[in-house]
Amino acid sequence: MRLEIRYVNRFVYPTPARESHNVLRACPADDGTQRLLDFDLSIDPTARVLTYVDSWGTRVDAFGIRAPHERLLVTAEAVVETSARPAAPRGVAGRSDYADPEIRLDLGQYLRRTGHTAWDSAIETFARDVCEGIDDATDAVAALDGAVRDAMTYTPGATEVGVDITNVWATRQGVCQDFAHLAIAMYRSLGIPARYVSGYIYASDLSGGDLPDQAEVEIETHAWVEVLVPGFGWWGLDPTNPQDVGERHVKIGHGRDYDDVMPLRGVYHGPSEHTLSVGVQISREGLTRRELDRMQQAQAQQ
Amino acid sequence: MLSRHAEHLFWIGRYVERAEDTARMLDVTYHTLLESPPSEEGPAWRELLEVLHLHEVFDDEPTAAAVSRYLVLDPANPGSVVSAVDRARTNAQAVRDRISTEMWEAINAFFLELQEMDLGTALDRRPYEVFRTIKNRCQAINGVSAQTMPRDDGYRFSVLGLMLERAEMTCRLLAVRYARLTRGSQPMWFHAWVAVLKSVSAFEAYLKEHEAALEPTRVLEFLLLSTTFPRSVLYCLRVAETQLGGLTPGTRSTAQRLLGRVRARCEFADVDEILDSGLDQFLEELQQDIYDVAEAVDAHFFRSGTDLDLRSIEST
Amino acid sequence: MPDFDEATTAAAAPRDHYRDLLARLDQVGGDELADRARLLDSIFRSLGITFAVYDDERGAERTWPMDLVPRIIPADEWRHLEAGLVQRVTALNRFLDDLYVGDQAALHDGVVPRWLVESADGYSREAYGIPAPAGARCVVAGIDIVRDGEGTYRVLEDNLRVPSGISYVLENRVAMTRVLPVAFARHRVRPVNHYGSALLRALRAAAPPASGEPTVVVLTPGTANSAYFEHAFLARQMGVELVEGRDLTVEDHVVYMRTTRGLERVDVVYRRVGDEFLDPAVFRSDSLLGVPGIVSAARAGNVTLANALGNGAADDKGIYPFVPDLIEYYLGAEPILPNVTTYLPWEADQLETVLDRLDQLVVKPVAEAGGYGIVIGHEASDEELGRVAEALRADPRGYIAQEVVRLSTHPTLVDGELRPRHIDLRPFVLSSPAGVEVIPGGLTRVALPEGSLIVNSSRGGGSKDTWVLAGDGA
Repeated sequence: MRLEIRYVNRFVYPTPARESHNVLRACPADDGTQRLLDFDLSIDPTARVLTYVDSWGTRVDAFGIRAPHERLLVTAEAVVETSARPAAPRGVAGRSDYADPEIRLDLGQYLRRTGHTAWDSAIETFARDVCEGIDDATDAVAALDGAVRDAMTYTPGATEVGVDITNVWATRQGVCQDFAHLAIAMYRSLGIPARYVSGYIYASDLSGGDLPDQAEVEIETHAWVEVLVPGFGWWGLDPTNPQDVGERHVKIGHGRDYDDVMPLRGVYHGPSEHTLSVGVQISREGLTRRELDRMQQAQAQQ
Repeated sequence: MLSRHAEHLFWIGRYVERAEDTARMLDVTYHTLLESPPSEEGPAWRELLEVLHLHEVFDDEPTAAAVSRYLVLDPANPGSVVSAVDRARTNAQAVRDRISTEMWEAINAFFLELQEMDLGTALDRRPYEVFRTIKNRCQAINGVSAQTMPRDDGYRFSVLGLMLERAEMTCRLLAVRYARLTRGSQPMWFHAWVAVLKSVSAFEAYLKEHEAALEPTRVLEFLLLSTTFPRSVLYCLRVAETQLGGLTPGTRSTAQRLLGRVRARCEFADVDEILDSGLDQFLEELQQDIYDVAEAVDAHFFRSGTDLDLRSIEST
Repeated sequence: MPDFDEATTAAAAPRDHYRDLLARLDQVGGDELADRARLLDSIFRSLGITFAVYDDERGAERTWPMDLVPRIIPADEWRHLEAGLVQRVTALNRFLDDLYVGDQAALHDGVVPRWLVESADGYSREAYGIPAPAGARCVVAGIDIVRDGEGTYRVLEDNLRVPSGISYVLENRVAMTRVLPVAFARHRVRPVNHYGSALLRALRAAAPPASGEPTVVVLTPGTANSAYFEHAFLARQMGVELVEGRDLTVEDHVVYMRTTRGLERVDVVYRRVGDEFLDPAVFRSDSLLGVPGIVSAARAGNVTLANALGNGAADDKGIYPFVPDLIEYYLGAEPILPNVTTYLPWEADQLETVLDRLDQLVVKPVAEAGGYGIVIGHEASDEELGRVAEALRADPRGYIAQEVVRLSTHPTLVDGELRPRHIDLRPFVLSSPAGVEVIPGGLTRVALPEGSLIVNSSRGGGSKDTWVLAGDGA
């Protein structure tokens, strides 16, 4: 599926901000099942962008604006060709395979608690109960994925990033980042390596499974998880959205948790107040708006 | 030099001068009141607070004890001598490597002396001694600075700060005193003008120049426009201008332009004309101009862009 | 086994290189020595050489405690130490390069387990891809050396982040030449006072290739930092600007300092601010000590951070046991200076050894920071040892175990008399594309309470001037 993504962050400051330095992780990955056809970043006021690939393989764009400015507009546009991602088949591995030192040790970073995935005994007990008696690795992973989705209620605005997952679990409410962190914590508590994925989704809303009616949707960035199934590899699962992680999921990158793939972070000197409007527009089918724009430009030049 | 260092040096100059001027004004107020009727006490102390722009924050009955404690040892009063010395020391500490050891020691020793002294008791028993000590220590700091600091940008910033502070304080003193003292009766103001002159160590210099003819207009002229007396407004502005010029050789900054303009206005001013068109207004404008110069110095040399708080942003 | 004493043999006879000094001290006599010790204290006080004591709420500062009796290292022993230090730091620099800008060959080839590196506190994901001039990820290293019961020099710990203490080495020497001028003059002691110029030379050599006449600054967290004195001292020694985070600014990934004549480009930042505080745009966003954007500037190759980010990956407790292997791997040479004997409980046979000898060993958790959770076998109760054994069996990968090292002793002036006290040594090693250089000697720290092995100045430790003898023909 060919998707065009437009991810816009607009900061408005009541009095000028200065010395603003930011790091953006918004560019879709190019990883075999997903092809990046085009990526374009514009910063207003203009800034010199330093682009690099971080230790996780994610493209990063870093930029700073020293001069006083009252607004900052960051627009990332991408065109990707996605394809279905295979699901892990049953029978490739048993739960006991997770004890293999190659996994226990070399993937240790996906097994430890992190700031956003620090589980308590309530979370661990739940995970253990769900997987009780399931020996097949794929079955166990799938069971836990379904159990998290069933237990949780998607509540936009229920939390801010950074909320403790033990609180998320206590209230059974959260947004996609919380769902992802919670699921990761449950997997890890059972010794199953799991990692956090940041990306976009082409759907009418983050928690609904429906394919959008309209060609273009307004949505937010999304987060899901990848879980290791020995003998298969990393299996993408979306604890928030009941559909398979496939054509409509556009992956930016992965890491131990949100902090490793934060879409946009930065600092500035200036007023404490600022308003941020952030939006993701995703469109598909036929000519993308970008292509239309280009045609129009070409015509205008003739 | 680093902007931050320059800013610290500038403020060392200002704070040391502020401590000294505050002590001088306290001293003269005490003196004035010695030979005045008791009814004068309240108004006189209130007037002092006005000079220092502190009359609105001082809640108590303005008695000698209350005001002098407030102005000398109250750490909660940012304008007190103790606060000024504390800040001078903090600034000096931050540029410990940039100032001479002697200068640091002079500031630090003064700070420690004030810390160790029972200032409250001393003020009650021997106020003059306290004021004299403060004055002497501040002068010692400036003397040591003049004798041990190389004449580089650092020195220029510290003298610039000192001169702007002194010019402003002299303006303030005149703004309040002149209006009041010209209203009083003849014997009253004669005595008061002596005190004013003494408060800025100008009595002897004035007498030398004017041969004991104590006239308010001449006193005003002397403190405002003298080109020889080192505490007059014009003299301070001239020195400040020289220092500023040395900081940006060959160019003309906004600060220089503003300072040149205000200095020229004093340079070519006539005291009778000033009085005719209104002293209050003249002094007010003068203070505003000096303030603007300090702001321009700040913007040109110090403003780091990070004087505002650091904030973080995060978007999902 | 008795302690190894630096100055005297087991038979209580002075070692050759101490004969002259001990005779001289004896000749001076107890009262005079006490007088000179007082003189020493007053020299440090007047020089303003103090260190902050964190637990003192008034922020009081104590005078730097220096012992009157110098430590002497003969020329041949120093040659051995120097060669070992150069070798070790060279390999560690290679490892850091491999880790952050190389192929991670040492991990692929299984020399160091990947999981250990990835779980090391000081391993920095942000450091990945940040260039550094060859061999200069760690420009300044402080390697802690101890001497065991047999007199063998061993490496106890590598400090590759922001090691401190060099200023005391220099000040100790200044004070020593005033207090014991005759004894000093009678030995041919190699000088240390060129450190400032050597450091500046190394820092300049580490500048980004494009910078013509590189501008170097020292970045300090500020006056409240316990090592501020040293930061100011080094800036003065090098004749460069001592800056705080707010003095620097980044524009278009270039670092500048804010001066009264405008922005001035900076090429090398000798930073004494820890990784976590260095850049609020990528690390702790609440850090006011850092410079927003400086990490991007380093990544763009427009500024050299010395030391580089992420050096903690190589001085971690978990990595330490593998440093001898890294030396062999990168340099193809036998390690000259051995480690303290270390056991890896995740190797089955070593786990048994550790469990058998738990009451004689020191057990350290690998992933814990700041010495947390260290258990010293012979000081622990049976109950504690039981818990440690249980923890080791449950998670053998979480710990390493080491032999206890009886630090060597050295005559030290205590109440007017010379008494043996335990010492260690922290030499300083400078690395840059211009080469690797070790400053002769280093900081000898001494544990002043009788029998104590804790040499930290915040816990009753003192220091000694360290004399490296010039030897023949030098």
